[in-house]
Amino acid sequence: MQFKDQIDFIRQHMKRNKLRVATTILAATMGCAFLIVLASIGFGLHQTLTDDVLNNNLVTEIEVAGKAGEETDLSPGEIPDAEVQQMREMQHVAAVVERNRPDAETKVVIGERSTYSNVVLSSMEEEQKAGFGLSEGKMPANANEVVIGYHTADMLLTEAEQEKQEKGEEVSGFAGSLIGQTIELQLTPFMNEGDEKTEMAAWEFVVTGVAKEPAKDWMTDTGVYADSSWGAIFNEELNMQPGYENILVYADDLQNVGGITNALKEDGYYVYSVTEELGTVNVFFNALKAGLIFVGTIAVLIASIGIFNTMTMAVTERTREIGVMKAIGAQPKLIRKLFLMESAAIGVIGTVLAVVISYGISMLSNWLIPIIVMSSLGEDQPEDFTIIISTIPWQLVVIASVISIGVAMVSGWNPARKATQIDVIQALRQEM
Amino acid sequence: MITISELQHHFKIGKKGNERLVPVLKGVTLEVGNGEIVAILGKSGSGKSTLLHILAGFMSPEAGSVLVNGQETSALKESEQASFRLANFGFIFQNFQLMPGLSAFENVELPLKILGMDEADRKKKVQQMLGKVGLQEVSGHYPNELSGGQQQRVSIARALITDAPIILADEPTGSLDSETEKEILLLIQSLNKKLGLTFVIITHDEEVAAVADRQYHLHDGELVKGEQRHAV
Ligand SMILES: Nc1ncnc2c1ncn2[C@@H]1O[C@H](COP(=O)(O)OP(=O)(O)OP(=O)(O)O)[C@@H](O)[C@H]1O
Ligand SMILES: [Mg+2]
Repeated sequence: MQFKDQIDFIRQHMKRNKLRVATTILAATMGCAFLIVLASIGFGLHQTLTDDVLNNNLVTEIEVAGKAGEETDLSPGEIPDAEVQQMREMQHVAAVVERNRPDAETKVVIGERSTYSNVVLSSMEEEQKAGFGLSEGKMPANANEVVIGYHTADMLLTEAEQEKQEKGEEVSGFAGSLIGQTIELQLTPFMNEGDEKTEMAAWEFVVTGVAKEPAKDWMTDTGVYADSSWGAIFNEELNMQPGYENILVYADDLQNVGGITNALKEDGYYVYSVTEELGTVNVFFNALKAGLIFVGTIAVLIASIGIFNTMTMAVTERTREIGVMKAIGAQPKLIRKLFLMESAAIGVIGTVLAVVISYGISMLSNWLIPIIVMSSLGEDQPEDFTIIISTIPWQLVVIASVISIGVAMVSGWNPARKATQIDVIQALRQEM
Repeated sequence: MITISELQHHFKIGKKGNERLVPVLKGVTLEVGNGEIVAILGKSGSGKSTLLHILAGFMSPEAGSVLVNGQETSALKESEQASFRLANFGFIFQNFQLMPGLSAFENVELPLKILGMDEADRKKKVQQMLGKVGLQEVSGHYPNELSGGQQQRVSIARALITDAPIILADEPTGSLDSETEKEILLLIQSLNKKLGLTFVIITHDEEVAAVADRQYHLHDGELVKGEQRHAV
């Protein structure tokens, strides 16, 4: 029998028992939709958290927090330069940035205006390779040039303005662009107990660029990014210990972050990256999703009882017809296939409807639930409140389809086998 | 064409442990040649249907052999038997055994669908066949919209459609009035003459058996040759 004729055949059969087939499909649809919607909550919450992690981090960044030493662990500052160079040469590493923060209180001064700041010393060349973002200007070309933080200009206030700000009044900060301006950087070493008093020292720099806005609204960047060669000069002039160092490895692509993270771990480094953070999140949510899919599958199994009943009745009702088919010369294999296809068709139609309905429910709940939550929160709504209640990725559609159609076919299996075992003589004896 | 030799069959009846054997066929031997009409007569319960069912491969005999075109049918597996039936046999039943959900046309088309024939070839062939049995006008009717005689014509068309060389008929006119019975018998005779088809007809009716080239009586599990007659 040609496949097209087989389809015709089962379509005709399903039409003859419209109501029974329709209610069975309805049950299959409800079971499958329940499975998808339930699991979509797991997927939605997982995505909400993943998005949150990805938004709050530079995703290709891997922080090297130290290295396991023979006796004591090494801090990032103690990791030899040769090893940092080795990291730069690893595959898929775009750049390795060593950022140093001098152990001093820092102030940026321009004319009457000043603000507290912090100096970040780094190789500007590596920063550029790492994708250091500028909102305007360009990266420094020589050691006398610096990039300043996005909020530095706004925070450069006169003394009068600082007093006003303390009273809670609006102040405007430095008007115009700082690019091309010369700023003074004042460093005063932090006092440790027993230190002799040290003096403040100042250096002048030309601003060539302004860093891009920090990822989160609440972050303020008033930093000064200067070349790493200044580290030694500051320390000597102010008689300071080397400051806190921070090693950041940048992958060329998000998908290589995991590989680099693992390679660095194997070499004994303590590393921290977005994949590490997501790792624990993923384990939790994958377990949650599996659990939800399992619960949803129970609904599909309940629906499968309906399919089993419908198919068993279909076989019983058509005993005589099956007998005639066999008498004419239809293969038992063909008869089994026709019945399996019929139960699969119920599963397929049910699944398709369920997917459509689930997308509808998912969109509706993503729109409606935040509105309800918001209104119940009243005045104090968080500003960037983005929570995804439910997402249906294609993987979930595939999983649910495989489960629903698989279960439908399994429940059709026994009736289909029964159909092939029908005795021709007994069947032909049945009344019409 | 068909060689039945020393065929024996019995049924077991009664509950387990208290079974009784009912012998039905006690060594039946029969030869049917190409293009012959053979009628098997016998009283009700004499085992005519049983003989036909064994011949068709619906059941296996206790002993003896059935050779159809040189093939020992009981040696075939179930799936091979199905293919063998499709290629060699057409069936006409007393109560027509049409599919209630299919029109006359679709009922005749069914064996060709099972055979896997292309739709275009199929439609042409069915059209021609419906012409041969005189059913063009009612081809779209469903079985419950047809008279008994028309239904039996549909079932004859269905039996012939695959060009099977042997037609097995169990009481083909058993549910028809005598006028219609004559019609159907004439049709069978003309198909036999025109197409050279072999018919094995089971009946308890002498009138029906009269169309046959040869008649046999099944009596007490044995087959006895009857006299030859012609004309209806
Ligand atoms: N499945 C069965 N189990 C037990 N006995 C059976 C079975 N089928 C048939 N018989 C018996 O075998 C005998 C022959 O039956 P069969 O149907 O072959 O008769 P028949 O000649 O076709 O009769 P009729 O003219 O009434 O159709 C009968 O006595 C019947 O009771
Ligand atoms: Mg009978």
